[in-house]
Amino acid sequence: MNGEVQHFLELLWGMTEKELRARYKHTVFGFFWLVANPILQMAVIGFVFTFLLKQPVKNYYFFLFIGLLVWNFFSLSLSKATPSIVYERSLIKKARFPHAVIPISIILSNFVHFFLAFLLFLFPVLFLGTLSMLSLPIILFSFALLLTFAIGLSLLVTSLNVRFRDVNFFVSALLIIWFYATPIMYALTMIPRHLLWLWRFNPLTSILQLLQMAMLGLPGPGPAMLASNVGVIIITTILGIAVFTHESKNFDDWL
Amino acid sequence: MSVIISYNSHVVMKNKKPVIILKSVTKKYLVHHEKPTLSERIISETNETFVALNNINLTITEGESVGIVGANGSGKTTLLKIIAGIATPSRGSVCVTKRLVSLIDLTAGFHPELSGERNVYLNGMLIGMKKQLIDKKMPSIIHFADIGNFIDAPLYTYSDGMKLRLGFAIAVAANPDILILDEGISVGDLKFQFRSQQYLETFLHAKKILIAVEHKLDYIQKYCSRILIMRKGTIIADGDIKQLGIYRRSFFKRC
Repeated sequence: MNGEVQHFLELLWGMTEKELRARYKHTVFGFFWLVANPILQMAVIGFVFTFLLKQPVKNYYFFLFIGLLVWNFFSLSLSKATPSIVYERSLIKKARFPHAVIPISIILSNFVHFFLAFLLFLFPVLFLGTLSMLSLPIILFSFALLLTFAIGLSLLVTSLNVRFRDVNFFVSALLIIWFYATPIMYALTMIPRHLLWLWRFNPLTSILQLLQMAMLGLPGPGPAMLASNVGVIIITTILGIAVFTHESKNFDDWL
Repeated sequence: MSVIISYNSHVVMKNKKPVIILKSVTKKYLVHHEKPTLSERIISETNETFVALNNINLTITEGESVGIVGANGSGKTTLLKIIAGIATPSRGSVCVTKRLVSLIDLTAGFHPELSGERNVYLNGMLIGMKKQLIDKKMPSIIHFADIGNFIDAPLYTYSDGMKLRLGFAIAVAANPDILILDEGISVGDLKFQFRSQQYLETFLHAKKILIAVEHKLDYIQKYCSRILIMRKGTIIADGDIKQLGIYRRSFFKRC
């Protein structure tokens, strides 16, 4: 049993390493692209809001950058992980191995990139003077939620995508809407009170609010929001693991 | 049926430890002329199934080399997949007690951008090797694959023969107790053919299990001591090498 767990972890890390190494092969700027993307988005959105409209939040560029970093990790992970089992069909048909390493390795490699970009981002934040002793545990908690949710949801959609290839299209459509349903460009404090319950179904709300609290000193998620968001994450993850375990036995039949 | 059935008779005679046990294994596939979309499945609940394996009982013991013959679509490859754990039976149970490596699609899972060495680690772990073992076996893998300095080069610079040799060398290094061969490995240049033959002979000499699906009956005759003849998802004959002659004659009679 212990040997199996060890082998799973070794394989998972091997696959993650493959993703990391292969991603920026033959690119001139390599890792730079990871930071360039959110910076570009931040500049455009920030421009629109600060000049054409009123700046909605203090330190708005920082606020935007946190949201975009998290969002880019999440959307890239989900859109790459969803078709991953179908893309790696030659592996599935070749040998018996824990199939979960395919989507999870994609998410982990994205997470490594996200984490490095986040560390770079910490330097300018230091000068804002908004960080405190409490920041670190809150950030770590937020990361744990983010990673769990990304893995749980990916396991669910990637296993369903094997039988119903519609899922891939559904996920790409969903991600477009999801961007606006997440407090990336706006702060949740701007939402009318009677509509706030809508955000309880979106776990990214608490994840972002926790980060905004830890890094910029903005108000964190309320207890009801946090509880319902964490609830959604737990339910999604359990469902994801259950569906993936059930479906993975028959992947070969559909590939 | 014109073929004499001598079902499992010689297994009882040998009285050796069973390594692979299949009990009333049935494998059904849903017939899909095209991938069903979600709406199609909900609207028309068609359950058109194809029985690829029908109630197979099979016991393979230590030291047996089994050749499976039969027409296309008789369920040979499905049987191999079930034994290898790549596919899961719809009904019945499969029990494999020893280390199994399949030589199905040797080069699957290689990443073209990564070096040969990286690919050895990845592929080795996929077929169930521990990282530590791969570390230890690396020199012998390089030697057996005969690729020398190319081990550091990215895989897209390899010739097809080199990739194949590397894939085979990894499978050999995994030191399997059960080897699964689909449509032979009679590929590669003469030197490689000689090496793979040599390996198979020492493998069989060590009283390990070989299971081969092959249309070239000479190949079966050379390596296999037990013959399974399949037709329409059932094993219609199971016996020693003489079955091959019966199979040949039954085929010519039908023509």
